[in-house]
Amino acid sequence: MFIARCLGVSLALFVLLYVPASLTVSQAWALLWQLFAPRTARGSATLLFALRALPFGLASVFTLVFTLPSFLLLEPRSTDEAVGAAPLMLGLCCLALLAAGIVQAALAQIKTSRALTRWLDGSTLLDSGVAVPVFRTIQDSPSLTVAGVRAPRVLVSEAAVAALTPPELRSALKHEMAHAKSYDNLKKLLFRFSAFPGMAGLERAWAEQTELAADDAAVSSFGDALDLAGALIKVSRLSARHLQAELTTGLLHSSTALETRVQRLVFWDKKPVSTTAINHWRRALPSLSAVLFLVIATYRPTLTGLHELTEWLVR
Amino acid sequence: MDSIYRFLGRSPKVRLGPLEEQLLEQVWKYKSATVRELLHRSHLKQAYTTVMTTLDRLYKKQLLDRVPEGRAFRYSPRYTQEELKKAAAGETIRLLLSSSPAASLPLSYLVEAVSEHDAALLDELQQLVDQKRRERNGEKP
Repeated sequence: MFIARCLGVSLALFVLLYVPASLTVSQAWALLWQLFAPRTARGSATLLFALRALPFGLASVFTLVFTLPSFLLLEPRSTDEAVGAAPLMLGLCCLALLAAGIVQAALAQIKTSRALTRWLDGSTLLDSGVAVPVFRTIQDSPSLTVAGVRAPRVLVSEAAVAALTPPELRSALKHEMAHAKSYDNLKKLLFRFSAFPGMAGLERAWAEQTELAADDAAVSSFGDALDLAGALIKVSRLSARHLQAELTTGLLHSSTALETRVQRLVFWDKKPVSTTAINHWRRALPSLSAVLFLVIATYRPTLTGLHELTEWLVR
Repeated sequence: MDSIYRFLGRSPKVRLGPLEEQLLEQVWKYKSATVRELLHRSHLKQAYTTVMTTLDRLYKKQLLDRVPEGRAFRYSPRYTQEELKKAAAGETIRLLLSSSPAASLPLSYLVEAVSEHDAALLDELQQLVDQKRRERNGEKP
């Protein structure tokens, strides 16, 4: 009964934090994005991903750092208290939410694996000299994509190889490498795992910013920018000709996004100032230290307060 | 069926008013009808212009097709009841379980799908790239 109560209370508090946090993020992300206004597309993509992941991360950390220890340390094991209707219902809601997330992520992964197997049938490995393996596929669609979460692979169709000039193909491959390097596919899978209604706008904005960030990463000169712009147009023509129903149904038919990207590349000036991960950590370190200090200083009273709250919840 | 999914994805439009629902049911029942026929057969108490405006709204919501007939229109359902219910149920489940169609699969495409209708735009963009290339080559010594 002790373990059942512990689980019930932990899951209940998880859902009590996760749902309002998700609702807040789904409503306030645009405002926060405007407020922080990152200077680069990569900065925007990072901020939007952090906002998208915040509810799940916050609820998980709170559960592991506060809820579980408060129950394990302060709840007497000898009492024969029942789980309580509220924790039971909320706990079941939480389990349903987690199960839905797992199913969503698993289905997406299975669907992708099947598509990948089909696309790779008859393909040849290209000696591209880059870290991520590049396969030339005999299928018309997709023209150019990066697939895979743990071991990403770039797939380029024969039609795309024939249509693009060598510099265009090189720029396009660099763009795909940038996606692989920033683990964008893994992030998409995490979105599926923590699916929540009302997050579509945020996810779409994130997807757009990752494309711009990958464009930035692929370009180091005006010549590169024009090559990538040329590649985007040629691949768009191929994609229009070979739309693949089951996998493109959910994709946006966004000519505006393409226009923005090409315009941005055509008027490319210079590579935006990139800040390294070390610089980010250096800037975040004082805030993180302050939060850690605050947690340690108030840990015991917080656990006591939280335990009182859970007692009230169980009753 | 693609457009029905697109239609159902736009939440404000999916909500039908009571008269819209009633008229859609009637058009399904009679397969096709003009405003006057509906008023006559269905014994509706609404004014001619109300029914006309409501049918026009259903047409704009892509639920009805219409062809000119004299000075009026003849309306017919674009989708069967079964198709619409199936699509609505599927969309509801998708909205409940999924948060964004844009990131439905862990794949990153170089470009998102562009429809055939964007061919003119692609031509314009290609011209712009070619122009910039010419400018760049011209600047070179």
